[in-house]
Amino acid sequence: MMSDPAWRDSRGRSAELPGDLSSLEEEEEEGDSNAGASSLGSCSSASSDTDLEPEWLDSVQRNGELFYLELSEDEEESLLPETQTVNHVRFSEKEVIIEEDDSRERKKYEPKLKRFTKILKSKRLLPKRYHKKSSNNNGPVSILKHQSDQKTGVTVQQRYKDVTVYINPRKLTAIKAREQPKLLEVLVGIVHQTKWSWKRSGKQADGERLVVHGLSPGGSAMKSGQVLIGDVLVAVNDVDVTSENIERVLSCIPGPMQVKLTFENAYAVKKETIQPKKKKAQSSTNDLVKLLCGSETEGIQPSILGTPHIIMYLTLQLQSEVSKEEEILYHYPVSEASQKLKSVRGIFLTLCDMLESVTGTQVTSSSLHLNGKQIHVAFLKESDKLLLIGLPAEEIPLPQLRNMIEDAAQTLKFMYGSLDSAFCQVENTPRLDHFFSLFFERALQPDKLHLSASPSAQQYDAASAVLLDSLPAVRWLTLPQELKVELDTVLSDLEAADFEELSEDYYDMRRLYTILGSSLFYKGYLVCSHLPKDDVVEIAAYCRHYCLLPLAAKQRIGQLIIWREVFPSHHLQPPADADAEVFQEPEGRYFLLIVGLRHYMLCVLLEAGGCTSKAIGNPGPDCIYVDQARATLHQLEGVDFRLEEQLASSLGPCLSCADWFLAAPREKTDSLTTSPILSRLQGSTKTVTSPTCRRTFFSDYSFKARKPSPSRSSGGCEPGEGGESVGTSPHTTPDAVRKQRESDGAEDSVALLKLTRKKSTLPNPFHLGNSKKELSEKELEVYNTMKLTSGPDNTLFHYVALETVQGIFITPTHEEVAQLGGSVHTQLIKNFHQCCLSIRAIFQQTLKEEKKKTLRAAEHSESAESVAALTPVKEHGVLFECSPENWTDQKKAPPVMAYWVVGRLFLHPKPQELYVCFHDSVTEIAIEMAFKLFFGLTL
Amino acid sequence: MGDEGPGSTVHLLCLAASSGVPLFCRSSSGGAPSRQQLPFSVVGSLNGVHMFAQNLDVQLNSARTEDTTVVWKSFHDSITLIAVSSEEGASELSLGRMLHMVFGAMVLIVGLEELTNIRNVERLKKELRASYCLIDSFLGSSELIGDLTQCVDSVIPPEGSLMQETLSGFAEATGTAFVSLLVSGRVVAATEGWWRLGMPEAVLLPWLVGSLPPQAARDYPVYLPHGSPKVPHRLLTLTLLRGLELCLLCGPRPPLGQLDPQLLERWWQPLLEPLRACLPLGPRVLPEGFPLHGDILGLLLLHLELRRCLFTVEPSPDKEPSPGQRRRLLRNFYALVVTTHFPAGPAEKEEDAGSPAQRPRACYLVLGPGMGWRLVALQLGLRLLLLMLSPQSPTHGLRGLATHTLQALTPFL
Repeated sequence: MMSDPAWRDSRGRSAELPGDLSSLEEEEEEGDSNAGASSLGSCSSASSDTDLEPEWLDSVQRNGELFYLELSEDEEESLLPETQTVNHVRFSEKEVIIEEDDSRERKKYEPKLKRFTKILKSKRLLPKRYHKKSSNNNGPVSILKHQSDQKTGVTVQQRYKDVTVYINPRKLTAIKAREQPKLLEVLVGIVHQTKWSWKRSGKQADGERLVVHGLSPGGSAMKSGQVLIGDVLVAVNDVDVTSENIERVLSCIPGPMQVKLTFENAYAVKKETIQPKKKKAQSSTNDLVKLLCGSETEGIQPSILGTPHIIMYLTLQLQSEVSKEEEILYHYPVSEASQKLKSVRGIFLTLCDMLESVTGTQVTSSSLHLNGKQIHVAFLKESDKLLLIGLPAEEIPLPQLRNMIEDAAQTLKFMYGSLDSAFCQVENTPRLDHFFSLFFERALQPDKLHLSASPSAQQYDAASAVLLDSLPAVRWLTLPQELKVELDTVLSDLEAADFEELSEDYYDMRRLYTILGSSLFYKGYLVCSHLPKDDVVEIAAYCRHYCLLPLAAKQRIGQLIIWREVFPSHHLQPPADADAEVFQEPEGRYFLLIVGLRHYMLCVLLEAGGCTSKAIGNPGPDCIYVDQARATLHQLEGVDFRLEEQLASSLGPCLSCADWFLAAPREKTDSLTTSPILSRLQGSTKTVTSPTCRRTFFSDYSFKARKPSPSRSSGGCEPGEGGESVGTSPHTTPDAVRKQRESDGAEDSVALLKLTRKKSTLPNPFHLGNSKKELSEKELEVYNTMKLTSGPDNTLFHYVALETVQGIFITPTHEEVAQLGGSVHTQLIKNFHQCCLSIRAIFQQTLKEEKKKTLRAAEHSESAESVAALTPVKEHGVLFECSPENWTDQKKAPPVMAYWVVGRLFLHPKPQELYVCFHDSVTEIAIEMAFKLFFGLTL
Repeated sequence: MGDEGPGSTVHLLCLAASSGVPLFCRSSSGGAPSRQQLPFSVVGSLNGVHMFAQNLDVQLNSARTEDTTVVWKSFHDSITLIAVSSEEGASELSLGRMLHMVFGAMVLIVGLEELTNIRNVERLKKELRASYCLIDSFLGSSELIGDLTQCVDSVIPPEGSLMQETLSGFAEATGTAFVSLLVSGRVVAATEGWWRLGMPEAVLLPWLVGSLPPQAARDYPVYLPHGSPKVPHRLLTLTLLRGLELCLLCGPRPPLGQLDPQLLERWWQPLLEPLRACLPLGPRVLPEGFPLHGDILGLLLLHLELRRCLFTVEPSPDKEPSPGQRRRLLRNFYALVVTTHFPAGPAEKEEDAGSPAQRPRACYLVLGPGMGWRLVALQLGLRLLLLMLSPQSPTHGLRGLATHTLQALTPFL
């Protein structure tokens, strides 16, 4: 979305259609307010809309695809509480239109004609595709480029000066905890007083000029010596700023860097005429987008370009020396570092060909050294074509690369049907360039793309992307029952498609599409889904590749409409058998409609063919469906705050912050003297445990099973105690426990299920959960604030739970993580995800073997099991030690905290994966934690 | 071992880098040497693709298919070694280290000069035949693990200090600094000088002695790949008891004849009983009665600075799985642990690595249903301990058990 497809802003358009602009805008506004007013999705809103030209109609492409994004500026209010809350007028210049394909010339239609065709269409007299129209012939202006003409014009006037200062956002971490810092003051050293009175009187409601009222001593601005009191800060790195967006712009600075500040000279200010406000607001939003995407468009990103990385699609059918490079069907990027990789493609072709003939299996990866850098190359062979992606090993570990190539291939198939149709059609090239530029940027600069409201969320995103992006699932937000029901109802209403325009009787025509299902995302979390698992996963992968999920999470979207034909693998699979009894998928075509509004994104999968009329040609988005989806989202407006609430205090288990445990030895001494936390915290390698805290699973178990036997719980096994107890521990444990321990996951969870049932009758003394909500007892059990770990203290730091049957995973929300804060904790989270990636690589190996085994089992009754490889792994844990980063005390050794990262794979009854990170003080049983996490987790 | 499917083979190819002439190809199938060879065209293209890459300034290191791993390595721009393995769990790390060992073995036998400056390919081929025995032992499943860990396999003798004293005295009497006592390829005791031998040869010499057919005494010329790759030394071996050999590494003196039976008798006759007690240490490594937890099925202890290791799969021999399988599991686990979690490897001290804030200390692995074995790795200071445990060992107690075992073993290594 961000780079190659041109972004057309209204300025670009205004240059072309100066007369039309204003009227268009008005219409838009009207449409918006209309839709907002009639928020119940009634036909009235839809019909009133049809009289107007939908603002996105212009950007529908010839092939029917639409990618239209308009950012909302409301969000600035929510982000900056000090801004006054006047009635916010929405300006159309906020809109940003993205076109994926700018290479074509499109005819311009006269507005009148447009109106006419529109009416025709609403009567279903014209196929939709006649509406393609109107674009700049000279290629749309990319807003991602610096608006150089505007800027240079400004500097020529001598009224502006550029000052380069050094800004280090790390300063913030020290101060951050207390309050919302004023970034302008802290980072740049410019003091600016917000003047309410002035703001009210002047019509500068949301864009007060940033007058320098003072310079903080020692700040960068003062050091530069060029900033004077009275100057007006107008731009930061060519991003126009006002009092409203300055904090946000500054918060986007990822690391220490030189920043160019543009000031309006003090004396010039007085003469300055009031600038048209519109223009200013507009550029700031555009630039926000630019910040969001990084300034990657023009490819002048030296760090990325210097890194050798490549994607190639090669044909293995080598025509004998017809011309050079003929075997390359597609490659990206065209940079010097990548050129080298391209030139050695012969290696890959040979490897692919030779190794397959030698070993009988397909080549999957290769590694090589290039200019002293190790590069991994992943291969994906399909019939006689070879897709390969090369990335440096130090950035992307091999298992991640394997996941990435499969992910990319899956998404491309979802978008284009097959890799061949994606890569072999010339007109797709710019779109693929765009796709892969985002792909590589996500891979190589994960922190650049995740522009977040807060730096902590940004770090969390960047750290977790390593693991989460490759999971075959969608991030799920667990919701309370009544909220879930509400969302379900709203989505069902949409899916029923019984609104007036869709009534077949009314128009005496077949409907265009059947709604197969829809799923609703809020801030990038899946909150409700009525789609099969495969579809959700594919749709989410599509959104992820186009960075839509983070976009919705961080920015309130004014309006987002995406329409394209898709090829969901689930529906397009050839039928397994020709059994007439089994439901056969109709030979239809599928379309994906994504409508975004504020933090919501609604993905609707439509089917044409089957029981609806067949799609002919490349139909564009149908207004009625778009409007209905939008109305559905309007209907959900009231649910916002409840979802926010869930995000902030999720139903998931409570978390602890790693930093608390590091600080613990001195502060907590009194309360924890008997706890093992202490003895181990202080780095002693002896695992001495006092009986009181041996609240391991065993004592818990015996309690729950109504066999309270103190002797057992104190004699439970803690083999660290000494040789004797190590030798005899298995005998002292109850037999039942032992049996259970030996059994595998399936039995475990069954046993646990029984146990937990009993729990409701017997209050568990270790779950002193804060039962704030007045719920019935049964609900309490499920919705109680979960404490995942055993023992008196909550020792859980982080978790990721993957449920493959429904294609969802749960993990702490951004808000939860942000609440914890802490520098050590941030590192811990990063390390956790990286460790999980390698654990998961082992699990994937196991799953592969398991698949092979079932295949083999189908052929032979009994196959000799080899025990040599570490394949059926069900649990893998790693113990880490960490200490505070900058420990200044030379005399004392820094405190050490130890924590486990444990991954557990469940094959039966359904494949699940669980990754948890907890403190070393209490021994945990992964099964137990898994059960607690997965319990009641349903879509 | 017979545990492997028929498809699991390892091929080792050695080619002259400049001409591409194959010097030898060795293969093993299911852990035993086999005659099955790759066709010549495949050998050619495997080498060709590596050469092609080299001409373009690209170093091709490895490639993987779904079940096979290929690793290329070229040494001194004159010898290219290629390993093709379809063994389960074969990793780039283990194959890479194997290639290093193989090249070391080649230098050990024929010297570096011959290998870097190939004048007569046919003659070199003939000379290299002497190294086949040693090289095959790397391909097959050996009882030792030094090839993978690059640490010297050793055992804990019952009366260590006495044996050490005797050895030093004997070394003095014969005028050599490099003397060691080996039992089936593992070092029982060695002089200071012997322990200071550089890396490939410290592992290779015991390995070589273990792979040679039994003889009462030998006088064997060896090059030391690290210490003296171009000037040969003499490796003298004297069998004290069957399986128990005394090794001396020396220059032209003393001649083998000087080590007459009387000298041996004078030094070693008093230690006959302790020496006898050493014999079963071959596979068992730990002395009789060493208090080892009953759940332990296999053990690998490495000292990263001394570069010695203890490796045994003998505890509880009556339990599943067979020793061969245990060895493979531990080898694979070692490779996994070193690749993913303790990447500093034996070479560097981890403190030097900029002291990353998050250091891995221990890890464990629980194998899936039907097996249930647990594997634990624990790093404490310079020691790395890997254990294989029976399924009844509780998961949360693994670390405690490993810590305890490591503490018990610390005085010995």
